[in-house]
Amino acid sequence: MIRRWILIALVFALALILSACAPPAAPTAPASGQSTTAPATAVDFVTWYQYDQNNEDPASDERVGNAYLRQMIPRFNAAFAGQWNWVNQPKAFDKMATELVAAVQAGGEVPDLFQMASSMLNLFHRNGAVQDLSQWAQAQSWWDDLDPSAVQACTGADGKLYCIPVAELPHVVYVWKDRYPDGFPKTPEAFLAAAARLQSAGLYAMTFFGSTDFDGEGLTRGVWMTMSSFGGTMDDGHGNMLLNTPENIAAIAFLRQLVQKGYVPEISFAGGFQEEDAFKDASAGAFPTGLFGYRYVNPLHAPNGTVYNKRNEQDMLDAIAAGDVEFSTYFATPGHTPGCNVGVQGFSIPVGAKHPEAAYDYINWIMDPAQNADWVLGPGGGFPARISMSHTEQFQTPFYQKAAEVIKASNCRPWYGSLERPQEAKKLVMTTVYKLIKEDPTADIGTLLQSTQEEYNANN
Amino acid sequence: MLQTWCARLRKRGLDTLPFWLILPTVLVLLVVQVYPAVYTLWLSLHEREPQGWFYVGLKNYNRLFHTSLFSESVGHTLVFLLGYVGLTMAAGFCVALLLSRNVRFSGLYITLLFIPWIIADIIAGLVFRLLVVPDYGLLSGILQNPSLFLPHGLSVLTAVRPQPWFGQFPFPPAPAMLYLILASSWRALPFITLLLLASLQTIPTEIIESSRIDGASRTQVIRRILIPLMLPTLVVALFSLTLSGMNGVGMIFSLTSGGPGTSTEVLSYMLYSIGWRQLRFGRAAALAMLIALVNWLLISGTLRFTRVQDRRD
Repeated sequence: MIRRWILIALVFALALILSACAPPAAPTAPASGQSTTAPATAVDFVTWYQYDQNNEDPASDERVGNAYLRQMIPRFNAAFAGQWNWVNQPKAFDKMATELVAAVQAGGEVPDLFQMASSMLNLFHRNGAVQDLSQWAQAQSWWDDLDPSAVQACTGADGKLYCIPVAELPHVVYVWKDRYPDGFPKTPEAFLAAAARLQSAGLYAMTFFGSTDFDGEGLTRGVWMTMSSFGGTMDDGHGNMLLNTPENIAAIAFLRQLVQKGYVPEISFAGGFQEEDAFKDASAGAFPTGLFGYRYVNPLHAPNGTVYNKRNEQDMLDAIAAGDVEFSTYFATPGHTPGCNVGVQGFSIPVGAKHPEAAYDYINWIMDPAQNADWVLGPGGGFPARISMSHTEQFQTPFYQKAAEVIKASNCRPWYGSLERPQEAKKLVMTTVYKLIKEDPTADIGTLLQSTQEEYNANN
Repeated sequence: MLQTWCARLRKRGLDTLPFWLILPTVLVLLVVQVYPAVYTLWLSLHEREPQGWFYVGLKNYNRLFHTSLFSESVGHTLVFLLGYVGLTMAAGFCVALLLSRNVRFSGLYITLLFIPWIIADIIAGLVFRLLVVPDYGLLSGILQNPSLFLPHGLSVLTAVRPQPWFGQFPFPPAPAMLYLILASSWRALPFITLLLLASLQTIPTEIIESSRIDGASRTQVIRRILIPLMLPTLVVALFSLTLSGMNGVGMIFSLTSGGPGTSTEVLSYMLYSIGWRQLRFGRAAALAMLIALVNWLLISGTLRFTRVQDRRD
């Protein structure tokens, strides 16, 4: 009798252990607002976004994307009633890639589609996590309307298309007009003169992402803007890192000068996006960052005393409309166009997606002019990748018109160029830049840049 | 015939009973320990390409050793471990000594002391970060006062590391590293204190009293009586702290993210960075194997030491 119980207990324990190895159950709970619109026969279409439709917190950093999903999920489900039921699974922006690759490689549950930044493309491609969309995309009606540079950003090293570009996210300089009454300087020399003037008033010329936080994300922002505006580059066009150039050396020497003379605030190096604080309180006169930054940089205290305190993206939009904040190109050395980084936001279909046909329907639905602008303004946070869409009414606001002028006058390109391991390069280069401009202002710039590029290229 | 067969079966059943009893544990260990370990070893010898996994031998290890950050991280890990283990052990021992006296409200003190232990690493790190954020951190006003910290005040999260005394070895550590050690010790202190307090309370008071009658000073009592008698517990505490310091990443993640620059980038954070940010699983697995090797050395060293002690006792 006892042995029988022991045997039963053992079988139970074994079953318990084996059950842990089973794949997790597919989510069945519909997102808020969906249950009434989706009929029972509709098949779940699962997406991963960095936004959460159930998060209604008005103070959330991602409120714009959250609200977008809340609004669009019922619309999609109504449009595809009886066919697809959109289920979004929110993922943290800095964890999504890891989870996706791990899920694909482990044969776990993957979404049918996920929101993707083009800078991650090589990483997904190398890990075999995304499907080739070339053939399907080229057969769609919107294909010829796509900006070629956006398509390029979604193209892997093997020439295949791994994401569908929907929004382009260029970088700009946000400027407090009262800090630069004659406009943001056009040359490094003029900028230094303005910086000295601001310093004598107890202010900083600019704030920028100067820390090595987020594995060197700062490189893609103010640092790249400086390097590219000085005519610098990150690669040789053939996948090799090319850092040790006179232009890059000049750019880093310039940044070093700004830091050592105290023209940028110490908080620029604190990480955690806290460099934004110096722009929020107008102690720094300018802030080179992504156009999408308008959502996160609030509330704002203008130099003239006006406080923009709605604590959401409307603060920056109001400040721009009121003329307190304006966009500018970065300053550039003679003979060079002001540079900046540009990224693409779009969609990818992971390997192992259960319903790729749902993903195709979804992409076509989003690419339709009726929905496209909403996505670009919502999760995209940039300009439409569909060229024809930029003429629509939604992009004729002061914010977009001013931004468009600045982008037109700049030479925006992806910072990583032909580098196939941007995540690795980002950390490596930003660590070096940080050493040169902050930690060791006497170190030889060329020597360190050379050793950094050699370290990267050794693994090519 | 049937009876003999049944008896034999019963005997065999009893003989194999221990095997069946231990089987669930073995299965669990196989699933959660052995399989991941073997898989990590396999990963460390492979590299991911779009077409799949490719065997690369020891290339991942080789690449790791040739990464400038690796040797730097080893130095940071050593400095962190020395500071963290040393500070926590010393503070834990002192607090345990104080609490072992029959002071009023000692129960309350022990309860209060336990609070840091129940706070998650990430949360503790965030709180400590908020204390020293440049410009508006609660302690920043004091720390950034130039008259207190010459010449420009101290901004913990952005201050550059001092010039190293021994070649490239990161000593003296950056202010952020010292702060990280302080925060990590604060969090680990309750556990170590309670462990040592429990050990202290098992020492018969007669031994201490008789040593005092024999004229032993306070220091001599600690050195000659308390520490030798507490040695097995001290070793366990040391072992526990070293392992948690070696493998912990939560506090670093939320407090410094390895910065400023790379001044708090220890091996465990580097592993996180390579594996979960750069998604270089092969190289991350190689680093994980190296960390596992260090852990194994620590464990086996401790076990060996405690066995020697047991034999002496």
